[in-house]
Amino acid sequence: MDRRTRSQKFRVRQDWIVAMGMALAVVTCLPSQAWSGDRSNEGCLMCHSEKGEFLKFADGSKKSLFVDKAQWKKSVHGGKLSCTDCHREISDYPHQKKKFEDARDYTLARANTCQRCHYAHYTRVLDSTHYEILKSGMREAPTCVDCHGAHDIHDPRTPRLGINARCATCHSEISDTFKQSVHGKALLENNPDVPVCTDCHGAHSMPSPSDSKFRLTSFQMCAQCHGDEERMKKYDLNTAVLSTYLDDFHGSSNRLYAMGAGKPTKPIATCSDCHGVHNISSFKGSATKAEARARVIKTCRTCHAEVPDSFADAWLSHYEPTFETAPLVWGVKLGYRVLIPLIMIGLVLHILLHLWRLKTHR
Amino acid sequence: MARTKIVRRRDGTVLVERFSPFRRVEHLMVIIVFVLLVLTGFPQKFYESTWATSTLNFFGGLDRARTVHRVAGMVFAFQAIFHIAVIMIGTLTKKMRLTLLPTPQDLRDVFATMSYYFGYRKEHPRYPKFDYRQKFEYLGMVLGGMVMVFTGLVLLYPGLTASIMPGQIIPAARIMHSSEALLALSVLIVWHVYGSHLSPEVFPMDTSIFTGYMTEEELAERHSLEYEHVFGKPPAHLAEHAEAPKTGVTLTPPEDTDSAPKA
Repeated sequence: MDRRTRSQKFRVRQDWIVAMGMALAVVTCLPSQAWSGDRSNEGCLMCHSEKGEFLKFADGSKKSLFVDKAQWKKSVHGGKLSCTDCHREISDYPHQKKKFEDARDYTLARANTCQRCHYAHYTRVLDSTHYEILKSGMREAPTCVDCHGAHDIHDPRTPRLGINARCATCHSEISDTFKQSVHGKALLENNPDVPVCTDCHGAHSMPSPSDSKFRLTSFQMCAQCHGDEERMKKYDLNTAVLSTYLDDFHGSSNRLYAMGAGKPTKPIATCSDCHGVHNISSFKGSATKAEARARVIKTCRTCHAEVPDSFADAWLSHYEPTFETAPLVWGVKLGYRVLIPLIMIGLVLHILLHLWRLKTHR
Repeated sequence: MARTKIVRRRDGTVLVERFSPFRRVEHLMVIIVFVLLVLTGFPQKFYESTWATSTLNFFGGLDRARTVHRVAGMVFAFQAIFHIAVIMIGTLTKKMRLTLLPTPQDLRDVFATMSYYFGYRKEHPRYPKFDYRQKFEYLGMVLGGMVMVFTGLVLLYPGLTASIMPGQIIPAARIMHSSEALLALSVLIVWHVYGSHLSPEVFPMDTSIFTGYMTEEELAERHSLEYEHVFGKPPAHLAEHAEAPKTGVTLTPPEDTDSAPKA
């Protein structure tokens, strides 16, 4: 008993020592960092603010060593980090020579630079499809600097349009398709309510869109905005899209698969199967009722081959049934809503009466 | 009409047959199929709940559970068809007594029972082989079963349905299938569990559907008209308490020719 408390006390004391030590380290390092940062930056910029210096790679290609001082100062790291915080391999002058095949080789070799501070984001990238592709040997797959830049890093979320522009560097075809879509057109008008690439695909942990899980959970992605009444009110859009989808066979199936009830043997329709992916266009206004039905039945037939035209009437277009739109469905729904409570209340009353009679008149 | 089987045991108790072996097997089959259908169906109805996934995974995932559901549904459908076919043949050949068919008397029994419960009536109304409470459940089972089979087939073959019926039948069938199932399960839990288990008349359990037999006393107490039908005279306790007995009261156990022991 005594010994345990003593060891506990000792451990507490040890913790204190560690904590004090860390506090001391922080206190002594903070000003020195700022001081050394500014001073060392000036030292580096003595050479690197001059244009005309290049890194020469083994394949004969070159990379400029010029750093725009003004641009650096304006970047999120400007005035906060010193050059050697990122360029840690450099500590003396003249710099130690290292051999790289080409500029990409150099970038990839230094790809983990950001990890020291942005640990969580960096780790998420390790789970992303981009990193998978990089690992498979495709050197063009992006690392931090390809999307964020190096010396001119700004808040990646402003302007929003810039996010798509960055993705378009590689995914130009999809970007062009997206610009034609109902979302893309609105984004070009700086509409803040429409999604940019990262809203659906994520930024760092970016899962593979061809992964079955991405497909199964994609309806939740759409529902984030399309189930938001505040946001949809502005555009007079129906917010029952999620509930009506889930209440249908397709939706409840996908929802159950997404919750882990096995894997689908064949794909079951989700939002994008009827509405498209990057090329989403509005069903509203443009089409007459007959045209819309024709579009629906065409979509049905991608899976339900050879169904008759009347099959499209099975789909109530994301609207709750009403007496006018779907009298049969409306009637059945209402009928049971009345019938079930009525019967159950009747039965329970009958049971209670029986018990009451037995208790009072036995 | 086949005579009702009566068994006289060594200890003196007299058992009256209520359910033929065929009906007992039918009931057992319904239990198995119903449980399977509920376990594989309700997780699909309540897809938002956490137990839905684990229940489905017990069957090996949603796809397997659906296969089980469809096979069980088919068994149920064939059972229903067989059940109705037996009734039809039995009726046509006049070999079957339709003891579960609701009659106007059942409606009168409802009112009589209610007025007995409320104290307006002194004696409990006399029930036939199956009282209106049991007939209600049976009728619900048969009609509800037909609804489930029809809507289930619509949902299993939506394309075929659309080619012979309006497409709107499909979503209507989906709601009907799921609501009727909820109604059936609720009635089972409340009405059947009370009537066959929790009711003080039978607690803890009315075993006649499994053994096939009910004691003479139970029959006299709960289905006195059937008692009279089997033994040819009203049960002793009724004759005793009757305000104005029409005929002489016999307290000796009835020994009808009709009830000659066979088993």
